[in-house]
Amino acid sequence: MKRLPAPYGLLINREQPISFSFENKAYQGLAGDSIASALAANDQWLLSRSFKYHRPRGALTMAGQDANTMVQLPSNPNALADKEPIAEGLQVMGQNYSGSLENDRGSILGLFSRFLPVGFYYKAFFKPRGMWEKWVKLIRKKAGLGVINQQLEPEYYDKQYKFYDVVVVGAGPTGLQAALTAAVDGCEVLLVDENPILGGSLNYARLDTEGTLAKEVRDQLILEVNGNSNITCMTNAMVNAWFADNWLPIICGKRLYKVRSKQTILCTGALEQQAVFHNNDVPGVMMSSAAQRLMHLYGVAPGKTAVVVTGNDDGYANALDLMDAGVNVAAIIDLRETPKATPMIEAAIKRRLKIKPGYAVYGAQQNGNHLSAVEIRKVVSQGICAEVGETISCDLLCMAVGYTPTYQLACQSGGQLSYDDNSAMFTLNNLADDLQVAGSVNSYWDLGNCLEEGARAATIATNALGFTQADIPEAMAKESQSPNHSWPIFAHPKGKEFVDFDEDLTIADIINATKDGYEHIQLVKRYSTCGMGPSQGRHSALAAARLVAAATNKTVAETGVTTARPPFAPEHLGHSAGRSFYPARRSNMHYRHLEAGAQMLQAGAWYRPAFYSPQADYGPSLDSAVCINNEVNNVRNNVGLVDVSTLGGLEVRGPDAGEFLNRFYTFGFVKQPVGKARYALLTNEAGVVIDDGVACRFSEEHYYVTATTGGVDRVYQNMLKWNAQWRLDVDIANVTSAYSAVNIAGPKARQVLAKLCSDIDLSKEAFPYMGVREGTVAGIPARLIRVGFVGELGYEVHVPQQFGEALWDALMDAGQPEGIKPFGIEAQRILRLEKGHIIIGQDTDAMSNPMEVQMGWAVSRKKPFFVGGRTISELKKKTPSRSLVGFMINDTDGPTPMESHLVLNGEQMAGRVTSCNYSPTLGKPIGLAYVQPHSAEAGSQITIRANGGVLVTAEVVTLPFYDPTTARQEL
Amino acid sequence: MTDYNPLLPIAPAQGNRRSPLYRRHVDLQAKFEQVGDAVLVSHYVKPGIEVLLAANLGLVDLSTMPRTGFKGAGAPAWAASQRVKLPKLPNTAVTQKDGSVVAKLSHQELLIVSNIMGSATSIDRLNREHLNREHSNKEHLNREHLNREHSNKEHLSKQTLAPQTYSLPRADSHSWLAVTGNAAAEMFSKICGVDLRVHKFAHNQVAQTSVAKINGVILRHDLATTPCFYILSDITSTEFLWDSLLDAMEEYRGAAVGVAAMRSLAANK
Repeated sequence: MKRLPAPYGLLINREQPISFSFENKAYQGLAGDSIASALAANDQWLLSRSFKYHRPRGALTMAGQDANTMVQLPSNPNALADKEPIAEGLQVMGQNYSGSLENDRGSILGLFSRFLPVGFYYKAFFKPRGMWEKWVKLIRKKAGLGVINQQLEPEYYDKQYKFYDVVVVGAGPTGLQAALTAAVDGCEVLLVDENPILGGSLNYARLDTEGTLAKEVRDQLILEVNGNSNITCMTNAMVNAWFADNWLPIICGKRLYKVRSKQTILCTGALEQQAVFHNNDVPGVMMSSAAQRLMHLYGVAPGKTAVVVTGNDDGYANALDLMDAGVNVAAIIDLRETPKATPMIEAAIKRRLKIKPGYAVYGAQQNGNHLSAVEIRKVVSQGICAEVGETISCDLLCMAVGYTPTYQLACQSGGQLSYDDNSAMFTLNNLADDLQVAGSVNSYWDLGNCLEEGARAATIATNALGFTQADIPEAMAKESQSPNHSWPIFAHPKGKEFVDFDEDLTIADIINATKDGYEHIQLVKRYSTCGMGPSQGRHSALAAARLVAAATNKTVAETGVTTARPPFAPEHLGHSAGRSFYPARRSNMHYRHLEAGAQMLQAGAWYRPAFYSPQADYGPSLDSAVCINNEVNNVRNNVGLVDVSTLGGLEVRGPDAGEFLNRFYTFGFVKQPVGKARYALLTNEAGVVIDDGVACRFSEEHYYVTATTGGVDRVYQNMLKWNAQWRLDVDIANVTSAYSAVNIAGPKARQVLAKLCSDIDLSKEAFPYMGVREGTVAGIPARLIRVGFVGELGYEVHVPQQFGEALWDALMDAGQPEGIKPFGIEAQRILRLEKGHIIIGQDTDAMSNPMEVQMGWAVSRKKPFFVGGRTISELKKKTPSRSLVGFMINDTDGPTPMESHLVLNGEQMAGRVTSCNYSPTLGKPIGLAYVQPHSAEAGSQITIRANGGVLVTAEVVTLPFYDPTTARQEL
Repeated sequence: MTDYNPLLPIAPAQGNRRSPLYRRHVDLQAKFEQVGDAVLVSHYVKPGIEVLLAANLGLVDLSTMPRTGFKGAGAPAWAASQRVKLPKLPNTAVTQKDGSVVAKLSHQELLIVSNIMGSATSIDRLNREHLNREHSNKEHLNREHLNREHSNKEHLSKQTLAPQTYSLPRADSHSWLAVTGNAAAEMFSKICGVDLRVHKFAHNQVAQTSVAKINGVILRHDLATTPCFYILSDITSTEFLWDSLLDAMEEYRGAAVGVAAMRSLAANK
């Protein structure tokens, strides 16, 4: 392991060695190393194989911005080796190879590249007809990178909201200055950076000939930032998108921060771009900033002998840095014919660096899997080199030919990219309100200008927030010298000049895409897949735009770039899933059900007892059907208790309460007597049945209305909506949760209830069917409703929520001599079916009108208006197309139909079953089904296709199945 | 139901009114105290330790404590006539003389929670007064009803005791939890999208929002210098919310504490 001496290696701790393995070979790195830097320190440069041609790839940016460094970790495929820190014992493997990473059999594909032209997917696999089915197996096998560890234990990810006056994205010099200015002005500032430490380019770039300025500025700015309590710094944190109203998702560790920022300042810097030439992807060829990162952040010399290809001052700074680090700089290849003399160039000349102005790197050569030499040639014209050149041996080629602004977040905010032909650079405009860009993302490169612009952006933000009323300084003049070379692209007869490393796309691929008719950059992207790989066009967008522009005789500005959608960087599914909340609702009697052996089921958020399987009573082998039938029989013959706390409860109070219900429900309510309940059927404007319940009138101006468990929220919303129009003097309150409720039902219900109810006369005469009373049960204040949903003498008892368990206990104790048993919703479904009562949502659908479901009796004909009334009156004039009927299956040997089984008329579908159960009371299956009108008469025979396609004959019968005289419920 | 005997340890299910969380408290070996017709967790571990826990981050179940609500066009005026000090603006609260807190949820809706001693005097009085008012209103209306029937006139003028005030069963519709301590706001930021930091969300300020995906009313009501947030949310989801809060609190070493710790902090001026 070789390291440059301090102060090289800002991130590493030389006292803390860490062992890990790569491709099953042991390596040692230092704490703070990324996988790529630790491997580089061990002279291991090959990291991965390219997606299509399996070409060897090494570090390109050392900033986690490219797909070259994707490796397989035990828990994580496609980890970026130049971002992922090493850890003790970490096992790292390469990806996408056959055989070994060093000798990948798949690299033979490169020899066939001319048979794999752009769009070959679209051209090659669909002919002749049927071939796709054969190809797809191979393609599926080859597709995708990395392996998912399916044995992995889920890990804890979560989310957190944060709120700031100003969020500064990027903690380079501009970001540090912006954060400081805003914080000094009193703002709460969040400064976010994806790197482990603050400083951005100040941590690795050479900004002056001596190489001391960056450190001085960095130390001063960070000292001030750390000393300012208004600034919160978040490092190793990725602002992964910009959403409306400055909603910024920030990923840090295993947490997704959902940050609301009043003002956002993007100081995201710029992404260095590659030169495009033959074999520009060979390991050893890297961005000049990558080489500087290796040296300054990790103390690793990026090579022994270097060539720098440049179009700007940064290449010279890079060469000086390499020299200082002991790397032999063989030459600086300057694409410019006559570069303007600058202090950096003069310093390079002074140090006797070999400079080749007007030259380009025409091709790279490799020895094994690493760079061995470059061929340089004189540039004759744009993209054209002389016929001959010279070869320079080297193991490192640094590319410093220009940048694109890190525009992704700005573009997500609505910003647009323009291209300035003079500077050969993308620029940003049309930014969102409350969002600024500053620094090199806004085409400022000089340190002084960046600091001024950072402060200016912060002042705009603080003024907008009212912290200051300062004069906003004029924007700094754009710099005269652009770091971008206008055409660092050189085609080669042998190709392999990569524009997009992710997808192995060359100059010819991009040009051929336009020749195939895909001239728009968005179409080029989709046809060629340029920019669709993991690095999302960070290093291909500019070159592709230039090539497409030239090929289509347009300007680069006209050509533009493709849309930069979120997320900016790959994120784990865990970050999106995070810690999810699944609210659960439990009645106050919940644990009594569990103690009684209830099998719970979820209905929406509610937990409800489906049935009880009390093993002590029935033995362990009892199946659910037996339990349910026993519960049904106990209600029919004795007394049962069911928890109906989930029923919706709505208080409708006020002088216009009756009138309100009259308009809202189908029945009449104005003349409903106090002390009585009335069935309440709800339809929507289309006359479709959407809910039902009972309206209990406790006083002239007070109705307590029940609604279905699943429908109450919608009923409540509809009530509020309609009364917003009607403006009746009525108050509506959803009190569903405020009441625990039970239905005590069965012939002995009165007998049990009477033991606990001293202040209400429960006699048939004093408290008849559909009566309502207020009083106490077991000393608990209660509302009692005589209902008959299950077809027996029954009382719903509604008590304040927290009394629910005590009520349950009291009734179960009191009913012990009578043999009271709890029953669940499965038994309740059978009981109500026997009684012919429908369940809204199960026996109705989005088309069911009251007449179809035999609820015409619940529609008032005397009212001038109710919701859906107009439609219903029109529907009544039409011949119905279907009817919900009861049916009975007399042949009990066949299968029992299930919900949604089809009713057939010959081979044609004629309806469907909505409910069907074996009736313990009748001793045969019964059900409800939609049938055609001609089959709706009692005595008609219908055919139902049951499981396995078995045809079952059923007889249509008059509802209800049970107790047609209602004698039992009116007992 | 077991009769209350002051000489016996208080069992959480001895009263008819039971917190949805009482089994959780039993699991945590809580010591209970009697408050009105119900019981409340006094403390789980040693009270002195709980004060420290609560000062950092504590979660208290106050669901059996008195609370009520009124709404309607006449609610503010009626409450004022009952000597209730009203907040000027919706989403703010005012502490009453007896320590109870009146929060204005809208121009026509009031939420009233008791002091942390559980003393229900003022709340009981308001509920009683309102019930009396309802009864007299009902009698008046019944007379009107009879008159209408006798006169056989459908639309005889109704002279109710307007403007209307309606009671809301807040003691049963909503659970009442308290989150105490200096880390409370930071913890809330994991489960609630409202900025509850103490310099952004003032004492006696109210937010009607979503907490861990369920609707809730958050009322900041400090215990002397210790931040304290009341959460009133759907009572049927109390266990879910309790578990979600404890899960979110773990990162900050938060824990369930009893009301005794709250009282100590409140007295610590």
